Amino acid sequence: MSTATTPKSATTTAAAATDGRRRRQLLDLDDCARAEIADILETAAAMKELLARSIKQAPALRGMNVATLFFGADADTRLSFELAARSLSANVITAGEQGIQRGESLPSIARTLYALGVDLLVVRHDEAGAPYLIAQHFGGGLINGGDGHHAHPTQALANLFTIQQKLSWLDHLKVVIVGDVLHSAVARSMLWGLGTMGAQIVLCAPHTLLGPATFWKAVWPRLTISTDLEECLVKADAVISLPLRNERIQAGLLPSLREYGRFFGLTAERLQRAAPHCLVLHHGPVREGVEMMPDVIATTQAAIADQITNAVAVRMAVLYRLAGG
Amino acid sequence: MRYLIKNGSIIDPARRIATIGNVLVEDGKVTRVIDLADLAMEHQPIADDIEVINARGSVIAPGFIDMHTHVCETGEEHRETIVTATQAAARGGFTTICAMPDTQPPIDHAAMVRQVRQIARRRGAVRIEPLGAITLGRAGQSLTEMAELVEAGCVGFSDNGPLDDPALMRNVLAYAAMLEVPIMCHCEDPRLSRDWAMHEGAVSTRLGLPGYPAAAEELRIARDIALAELTGAHVHICQVSTAGGVALIRAAKERSSRISAEVTPHHLTLTDRWVLGALGPLDQHDNDAPSRRETRSRRRKKTEPGLGLPGWLDPTLLSPFDPNTRVSPPLRGEEDLEALIEGLRDGTIDAIATGHTPLSQADKECAYRLAAPGISGLETALGLVLTLVHRGEMDLVNMVAKLTEGPAGVLGRAPATLRPGAPADITVFDPDHSWTVDPSTFASRGRNTPLAGQKLKGQVMLTLSNGQIIFRRGNFGVGTGALQQASKLEGILGND
Repeated sequence: MSTATTPKSATTTAAAATDGRRRRQLLDLDDCARAEIADILETAAAMKELLARSIKQAPALRGMNVATLFFGADADTRLSFELAARSLSANVITAGEQGIQRGESLPSIARTLYALGVDLLVVRHDEAGAPYLIAQHFGGGLINGGDGHHAHPTQALANLFTIQQKLSWLDHLKVVIVGDVLHSAVARSMLWGLGTMGAQIVLCAPHTLLGPATFWKAVWPRLTISTDLEECLVKADAVISLPLRNERIQAGLLPSLREYGRFFGLTAERLQRAAPHCLVLHHGPVREGVEMMPDVIATTQAAIADQITNAVAVRMAVLYRLAGG
Repeated sequence: MRYLIKNGSIIDPARRIATIGNVLVEDGKVTRVIDLADLAMEHQPIADDIEVINARGSVIAPGFIDMHTHVCETGEEHRETIVTATQAAARGGFTTICAMPDTQPPIDHAAMVRQVRQIARRRGAVRIEPLGAITLGRAGQSLTEMAELVEAGCVGFSDNGPLDDPALMRNVLAYAAMLEVPIMCHCEDPRLSRDWAMHEGAVSTRLGLPGYPAAAEELRIARDIALAELTGAHVHICQVSTAGGVALIRAAKERSSRISAEVTPHHLTLTDRWVLGALGPLDQHDNDAPSRRETRSRRRKKTEPGLGLPGWLDPTLLSPFDPNTRVSPPLRGEEDLEALIEGLRDGTIDAIATGHTPLSQADKECAYRLAAPGISGLETALGLVLTLVHRGEMDLVNMVAKLTEGPAGVLGRAPATLRPGAPADITVFDPDHSWTVDPSTFASRGRNTPLAGQKLKGQVMLTLSNGQIIFRRGNFGVGTGALQQASKLEGILGND
């Protein structure tokens, strides 16, 4: 067992993570200082300009091998990462689900990919913590492309980037995160990122999608938690609506999609309580009448589409940074 | 062979003895226990065939009993065998281990009991007492031939897993009531702990891991206590891990139910904070004010007030999500840990049992939730529980009792003791000996421990089983030791 025989590697990993000067891995936003996040967003703005040109490619990662190792299907995230890597001229290897058994030892996969000459590895896994195990066996740069319900740092950065682009500031924000917080990696990474940027954060969900409030407050002491959406929305600068998956109904966490939509869906009327410039974000296929009503979707469609481009730009920025740029 | 173990601190909880003195072992039995105040012995010449073992500064105690060990032979010898398990036990100071029936095939027929006992007698370093399965194939359907299993030598019964059907559980207890052996209950309601990865709390919320709520254990403890009271059987609660569980057991004992309970060394000393590993502190601090963060971590380094841990146990040595911290029941919160210590102190919890679960590397080299739960615990048990003694949470005599007299009482055996005439099962340990845990030196095939690299204080130096030395650390006890420091034990022996 790696950790049993080399406890030293764990401490050096931690040291590398907190040392902002030369970051080798991005596993979550919990170790990102404010200056670093601002720096990534600044680089992302430059990358976004690149993506708007007719020739959408820069030579920054030429000659480097970037691999995407995805357990569990998430085509959107994979495409976004691969496009980001190609836009920076990297060689992209796709380590597919087909070839790799779910039960295969993660350390041996990590060692194999490193031996193959992979410089930067993007990992997505259904289980929380999998990238941390890989980190101990992979010598190159590592990006967490989402691990279970734990963290999804690049998506959270994409949200921050979108907010910054649209509102042109990131200070003293009031952000409401509504929906399935308990099963959301994006929400957790957002809490770290927004918290570091000094935002006031409100979580709004029924307690079956949240768990005990005291647990959240123990980790993020400045958090507000409520089940009353209308009250939460007062003077909000941004609302992040989380996707609700059918499994939650099947698992008996909610009586019906309809009831969820009635009490936790975003409507134009409810959003009137928010600040006039309030931004609505959503990072997945929106379910009409559940997470938000058609009138809200109509007005926020642009932001949602823009978010997808922004995610590519942010991933380019992160790849560039980890490559030593 | 005859041995004279000299000048040690003799702790014999069953006889309420804690004194400095010598123990003479002859023909597999303890023959004399000499208090140092009795100076006559000092002038007697020592016969040539007596090996003198100088135990100055160490504790001489009855051999420890572990009533919850996974031996894995037969069926999973890649994890552990009877030989390696008993060697690990000897190194941990245990002279009797109770083998859980979760072998393949399970210990659910008398023939299996005889086989395990036979292999153990022939090749095992220490005594093995088999536990029988409650239901055939541990499948939770029909009862094993319990009376015959007891006749063949089973000292208790366990399915090493939850028994969901309350009506079946009632029958089990009613039937077992005539056998005078404990039914060891694994208290977990699996419907409430489905897909669990770790204890449900702030840490699981932060890490996005599915939780095993304390209530899943408490519900089952409450049910099994009610059924024990209904049937009059002896229910033993395995590995209690929650504050609520301790409270239920305490209340049941006050009503004089036949309830006993055990706790593991890791639940007494480690919390769910260990799953965070190097990802600390738990809560979000202000990234722009490093000075505040530093002062906090410095304060924690010293006393760990927020964790209920001695300062020298350091969870940040682990990488985050270390699968070696996954154990069933999971490492709980700080309040639970404190309640467990209180329960041990006030007698609610009768015994310390290691729950030794050796696992292969493949069992642990996967994502956290998918890793098999378990800690290889025999060789670190004493060092861990002594952290409580060094911290002043418990006195040494009481702690030794929980490793000897306590489990013997639960199993209904004569108490482990150093009384003259008793079989010489003796453990000699130095409570002040500092060492660093290195799993690669374990005798056990299971190297799965979250304690790699941790400094522990207190280690077993010498173990005798039936008067034979089965483990000796280095050249322990050789030479006169006249220049060694006097015993440092007075401070931690307690007042009696």
